[in-house]
Amino acid sequence: MKFVFRLPDVGEGIHEAEVINYEVAVGDAVQADQVVIKVETDKAVVTLPSPVTGTVLETPLNPGDIVEVGGALIVLEAEGDSELTVSENDQLAEVAASKSKKKADKSIPVIAGMETPLSPIQAKRVLATPHTRHLARRLGIDISTVSGTGRAGRVTDDDVHRAAETGPAVSTGHQRSSLVGHDATSAGFDFEKYGPTQREPLKGIRKRIAEVMVRSYTTIPHVTHADEADITDLMNVVRSQKPAAEARGIKLTLTTFLTKAVVAALKQFPDLNASIDDGAGEIVFKNYFHIGIATDTEHGLMVPVVQNADQKSVLQIARDIQQLAEKARNREIDLDELRGGTFTITNPGVIGGIHATPIIQHPQVAILATLAARKRPVVRDDEIVIRTMMPMVIAFDHRLIDGATGARFMNYIISLLQDPMKMMLDMV
Amino acid sequence: MVVGDFAQDVQTVIIGAGPGGYVAAIRAAQLGQEVFLIEKELTGGVCLNWGCIPTKAMIEVSGLKAHLEKASEMGITVKEIRVDLAKLHSWKAGIVQRLRNGVETLLQKNGVELIRGEAIFSEPGKLMVESERGIQRVSYENVIIATGSRPIELADLPFDGATIIDSNAAIELKEPPEHLLVVGAGSVGIELGTVYRNLGSEVTIIETQETLLPWIDPEISRVLQRSIKKAGIDLKLGSRITATESNNGRVSMTIQQNGKKQLLDADKVLIAIGRRPNTDGMGLRELGLQTDDRGFIQVNQKMQTNLAGVYAIGDVVAGPMLAHRASHMGKIAAEVISGEPAAFDNVVVPGVIFSSLEIASVGLTEQQATEQGYSVKAGVFPFRALGRAMTLGEADGVTKVISDADSGTVLGVHIIGSHASDLIAEGGLAVESGAHVDDLSLTIHAHPTLTEGIMEAAEDIEHKAIHIFNPPVKK
Repeated sequence: MKFVFRLPDVGEGIHEAEVINYEVAVGDAVQADQVVIKVETDKAVVTLPSPVTGTVLETPLNPGDIVEVGGALIVLEAEGDSELTVSENDQLAEVAASKSKKKADKSIPVIAGMETPLSPIQAKRVLATPHTRHLARRLGIDISTVSGTGRAGRVTDDDVHRAAETGPAVSTGHQRSSLVGHDATSAGFDFEKYGPTQREPLKGIRKRIAEVMVRSYTTIPHVTHADEADITDLMNVVRSQKPAAEARGIKLTLTTFLTKAVVAALKQFPDLNASIDDGAGEIVFKNYFHIGIATDTEHGLMVPVVQNADQKSVLQIARDIQQLAEKARNREIDLDELRGGTFTITNPGVIGGIHATPIIQHPQVAILATLAARKRPVVRDDEIVIRTMMPMVIAFDHRLIDGATGARFMNYIISLLQDPMKMMLDMV
Repeated sequence: MVVGDFAQDVQTVIIGAGPGGYVAAIRAAQLGQEVFLIEKELTGGVCLNWGCIPTKAMIEVSGLKAHLEKASEMGITVKEIRVDLAKLHSWKAGIVQRLRNGVETLLQKNGVELIRGEAIFSEPGKLMVESERGIQRVSYENVIIATGSRPIELADLPFDGATIIDSNAAIELKEPPEHLLVVGAGSVGIELGTVYRNLGSEVTIIETQETLLPWIDPEISRVLQRSIKKAGIDLKLGSRITATESNNGRVSMTIQQNGKKQLLDADKVLIAIGRRPNTDGMGLRELGLQTDDRGFIQVNQKMQTNLAGVYAIGDVVAGPMLAHRASHMGKIAAEVISGEPAAFDNVVVPGVIFSSLEIASVGLTEQQATEQGYSVKAGVFPFRALGRAMTLGEADGVTKVISDADSGTVLGVHIIGSHASDLIAEGGLAVESGAHVDDLSLTIHAHPTLTEGIMEAAEDIEHKAIHIFNPPVKK
């Protein structure tokens, strides 16, 4: 039987992918679980295995094509009907469902959803008042596709109006994201009037970064606090232990120790490891410490996450950071490895700089930026000495964290970085 | 009115002038449609003429009698209470007549043409109305089928209008039966059984199912079962009829309950085992209208059937056979015809039973909510803790609020007790609007009223009800 393999819903947020290339050609025999296509989602390059065994009939897409979730990726002549019973293939069910729906539409043109008889009680319902539900019908909006901003996801009149304004995109099931929520876009701006330009689609990682940043910056009232740490002694530790680590194939860096210091500080200041749940109107304190490490790749910024950094040794963290960064740069990183961070560290210092204004990764509430460490004359015990000083900036969400807390958090980190022995005590 | 061979063209024809049809007609007329309303019997349908209204009149009267009999502790001693059924019937008929006149006046003022007769579809877009005066042909753009339902007969005990009766006949009895045997413990059986028990009859209700009203919250049906027993009605659950014999205006019935045989002898047998839709004999099948195997018409949220321009509302659509559901569907059908964005997207249809205690319910029961995957929190509050219930002399009853523990959303409200049928409106609004239980508990409820039960039941979810003891929560 003919089997259409469609772009599966890989998870929250991802609703389209760009085709990189097919790994098979028309006429090829394909085993179940054999990779057939490589696509780029907002965050990563993913290879997709075929759910069935069979022969490739069609490869309808070209490299660079954007395909939405549910869109056909490849058409196969599947071997036998028995494949249909493979239960894990959601796609199969999806295809079957969409087919049967089409059939029903044809035979009874007047009625959609007639198969589902009226029931006085519906299961998990759209939370909205009768008035709002009527408003949605009046504006031609399928209320089940509107995401509610009210308590527990309640759909409000405003949500329905907003959905109506964004137009038909809503009725297709997901919103085509505009990067900014208001009118101040540069859409339609005539750049060419002032000189020659070239245009590229805003897509993939770049687009994702743009969306995330807009959300972060428009949601969170950022406050920044800057200071500097004397890392002379710490750098001595890093330098002296580097060869030992390298012998094990691990690159020991300052970021490794910084991660440890941050986790120790987060334990002292749980507010900075928290999030605001706008829907529930609650502050969520996380009892886990997943630290995002901002990583510069040629495709753009990625923030892989070191899971449970509190439970890992310095060397384990160093190895994690090294491996995650490599995966990110090679576009091999799993989406799961980019999610769930509770705090982010960014280190523009490797490039340079003495100050920065980092943007928090929503829904986290703080981000720490370290800048270029340099030898500088400083005053110690009324004498001028040469020390390695590293400027640091923390940006935090003022909805949750006040300036004093932010400053104390920073002081604590500095105290650990300045005194490796103290850090060791706190690390255990 | 024209009676003859040529057809009258009309935009909207509605068949059946019950609470579904007449409401649809008025709404259609309000929206500027030209409307014919066809009725073969009485305007107002079963509800107004034989159902909701007359039975409530009888329940009120029989309840008043029962109340007076218990009033000595309140300081009222009644020497003799006599029931004059003829007087009751004429009072009741007066109410029905006034309401029917009211409906007909409204129809007339709205410009609805009421046609007396029986509708039969001849071909798509055309129907005939048969009456004593002949046949009238009507061609329509839209038709709303609102023909309602009728009682189901027991094959072995066909209605004879004298001894074996349906609910229509049961509200017209000249005197209370000596022994009324009710087959079927649904709302009709319970309501009419209660009426005649209060009026002095010996009443036995037999029911095949083991649980009373299995779709009702068990906590509520337990209270109901107790109150039925307290009223002196012999309720035989889980019993089957094995033999019947009727002679000289009496019926002997052998039933089997818990493996034991019993012989019952009654002078009246009320068959109240349910109702079937009136969708036969109108040429609907020939028209190509889809019905299920029980004769119910299938519709979508817009009340549209599989045929363009054909709508169906009320009891002919599978679901609870309730007048208020029919009326709501009628408005939707009329609005859809006018191109309005109406749809039956209601979350709840309130259910009400007028027993010696009233039962009213909206939304999910605790069990249904659990089955649907909610983590459920329920709050319960007894009527006996309400001052107003005591002063009414009606301390039996319970209010129960069901909520989703995760979101706090009110999923269901279930009440048994005095005036439950009126109290449930607040629950309906709460569930339909997706209210939070706090919306119920933080709204000030007037004191002393029975509505306080809803507030306290909502508070009971968090063990904070004031008027029942809740041990302090350990921090």
